[in-house]
Amino acid sequence: MVDVLVFFIGASLLLYVLLGGSDYGAGIVELLPAGARRERQKHVINDAMGPVWEANHIWLILVVVILFMGFPTVFTTLMIALHVPMLALLVGIVVRGTAFTFRHYDARQEPASQRVYTILFGVSSLWSALWLGIIVASLGRAKIDRHATDVWSAYFAPWWGLYPLAVGVFVACIFVFLAAVYLIGETGEADLRRRFTRIGIAANAAVVIGGGLVFLAALGEQDPLHRQFLRNPETLGVVGLATLMCVALWTSVRRRSPLATRVVAGAQVTLILLGWWLLYAPDVLITTDGPMTFHTTAAPPATQRQLVLALLVGSAFIFPSLFFLLRVFKSRRDSEGAE
Amino acid sequence: MDNLLAARATMAFSLGFHIVFAAIGMTMPFLMSAAHWFHLKRGDEEYLALTKMWMKGVAILFAVGAVSGTVLSFELGLLWPGFMEHAGAIIGMPFSWEGTAFFLEAVAIGLFLYGWKRMRPWVHWCTGLAVGVTGFMSGVFVVAANGWMNAPAGFTWENGVASDVDPVAAMFNAAWLHQTIHMQLAALQAVGFGVGGIHAFLFLRGRAPSLHMRAMKIAMVFGATASLLQPLAGHFAAQRVAELQPAKLAAMEGHFHTSTRAPLWIGGIPDVDTQEMRMGVPLPGMLSFLAHDDFDAEVIGLDRFPRDEWPPVVIVHVAFQIMVGIGMAMAAVALLYFWFLRKKHFPRWFLRTLVAFVPMGMIAIEAGWIVTEVGRQPWIIYGVMRTADAVTPVPGMVYHFYLFLTLYLTLAVVTVWLLRRQITTAERTLGG
Repeated sequence: MVDVLVFFIGASLLLYVLLGGSDYGAGIVELLPAGARRERQKHVINDAMGPVWEANHIWLILVVVILFMGFPTVFTTLMIALHVPMLALLVGIVVRGTAFTFRHYDARQEPASQRVYTILFGVSSLWSALWLGIIVASLGRAKIDRHATDVWSAYFAPWWGLYPLAVGVFVACIFVFLAAVYLIGETGEADLRRRFTRIGIAANAAVVIGGGLVFLAALGEQDPLHRQFLRNPETLGVVGLATLMCVALWTSVRRRSPLATRVVAGAQVTLILLGWWLLYAPDVLITTDGPMTFHTTAAPPATQRQLVLALLVGSAFIFPSLFFLLRVFKSRRDSEGAE
Repeated sequence: MDNLLAARATMAFSLGFHIVFAAIGMTMPFLMSAAHWFHLKRGDEEYLALTKMWMKGVAILFAVGAVSGTVLSFELGLLWPGFMEHAGAIIGMPFSWEGTAFFLEAVAIGLFLYGWKRMRPWVHWCTGLAVGVTGFMSGVFVVAANGWMNAPAGFTWENGVASDVDPVAAMFNAAWLHQTIHMQLAALQAVGFGVGGIHAFLFLRGRAPSLHMRAMKIAMVFGATASLLQPLAGHFAAQRVAELQPAKLAAMEGHFHTSTRAPLWIGGIPDVDTQEMRMGVPLPGMLSFLAHDDFDAEVIGLDRFPRDEWPPVVIVHVAFQIMVGIGMAMAAVALLYFWFLRKKHFPRWFLRTLVAFVPMGMIAIEAGWIVTEVGRQPWIIYGVMRTADAVTPVPGMVYHFYLFLTLYLTLAVVTVWLLRRQITTAERTLGG
């Protein structure tokens, strides 16, 4: 039963990174200098993200709900030790979601207010991506001290440092990469496609470099998890495969096949996440007392059963409706636009 | 402000903010679907304009509701880790169903907002209705979870540890039914009256009057019907509270001393030191009747509870009076509404009355939540865990409070500004 829950957490996290991630990335892409193409780029992003952004970000809520119902100790430990980064992430989520919607639904599309929305959407997207990475990195650092009495070691030390920041940057690069690859197929305009392709390739390079920086920062801070990195053949294999797939990516980009590019990019990011997961499993959170595993922190069996039931029944409704959503919006590439 | 007070203030403010958007999110899609239905049935373009005007409002308000709801799901743990550590496994179930409902709502709203001309008209209409239905379900699940805090069930509590967890029994706790009925009706009421009043105001101002009259009628049918049903639901709720949380009922009524033939107070301020009610009009025997269907029944007073288990009596009593007073007034206006609807003419003074009622339903909802939440104090899980034992050990919660105060007040101002721009722009287009 616990394994089913772990599978759902993993799957939701993956979908949040792939779908929500490209949504964050789109915000960051809007921060990059675009010159005269800014206005058209904005429309492409509005049309591409508008119908799906609400659904994309619910994967995160799903992770939160599974955690607090299925693994309440993990949830409360995280919410105490990582209060500050969680709060920072929330502020970002609030600002970016509302700025994006307000921009689209402002009845008077004046340049001045539109610019404010766009900047807020972009900055808060970058901000949230960084904090998301910092939170993820903090899970495995063995710096969460549940008995600490001073403010610094209890609430700041768990997430402070170069390594979490490097992961934050790495996550932001991944999001930009996903967004750029996704957006290539969302526009028919040649110059915009070229722009997204260039950003995608640059972001892909940044992902590889960022990954290396994460590794170096982890070594520098003697992160316990990453010391195992080189000794874990599965992780090494998976990350190696992700790196090799860059060749496939460049090929599909050169052949101008948006679908193949998307698939390859998605697979690359999935492999990176899988590598991270393999390094972790079966731990979920490493504290100074040692690792907390999914199995040792799981809620009572009756709760697990109800949660699994809710997830299965929920999936039976959610996946068909998501499929319908995508079919409605992706089957025809007409430019009727939104209301 | 100490840490506990700051955490409570943050929670109260976050919830009080979110609840406005949640109520709108549960109700507006139904109003929108009604207008859309008239358009599809009659081919009337004005109903289409109305549908789209409301739809843009729904989109703006939904975004604010969605993000403030996300904040709440984190804040459960950020503010009350002591609570979530125990409660998560017991009462997570309605939240997991709420997650499902909210997911479907997000998909449906994407389909409806962007799906014009991409689906067959009636399929598209159904996606709009689905937004309302799933939003309504979310509300039911979340309020059921709150019911559990008032009437804990589905676990055994020994030495600070919960065992024998039964999430199904926890979800269908003794308070879930009356709380959800009361809340869902309140949402229909508040939003129906709010939207109806705004359109009454716009009608009186005279731009695009026929559009605003139609809008007012659709909104008021929902608001007025719910207002007439609410006294029944409220009575049912009061009886359940009398049984489940006698201390809360006693605080609501300023009932200090256990007595038979207990009076119902109209107005009045409870004086906690002398344990007397000041001012106000007592109706002898009415509280006994309302709580137990018998004018001579005994109603438990605050004297049966240790002093440190009393909720803040003045706040709860005043909030309760505000809620009931507004509810009664809304029911009266609802009767008038149906009377004028039958006569097919709304006098201007009645439309002005509707304008005055725009904020009333929301004020009543906020007051009602103060009754529920403050009336449960000092408990976070009634009779099991005190709020003070659930609060986060993280210091400096007051900054957390200021942060969200600033963020949400800004959001509120921008939202109102955007909605005004929507209305004036839509009127200008219609006015030619």
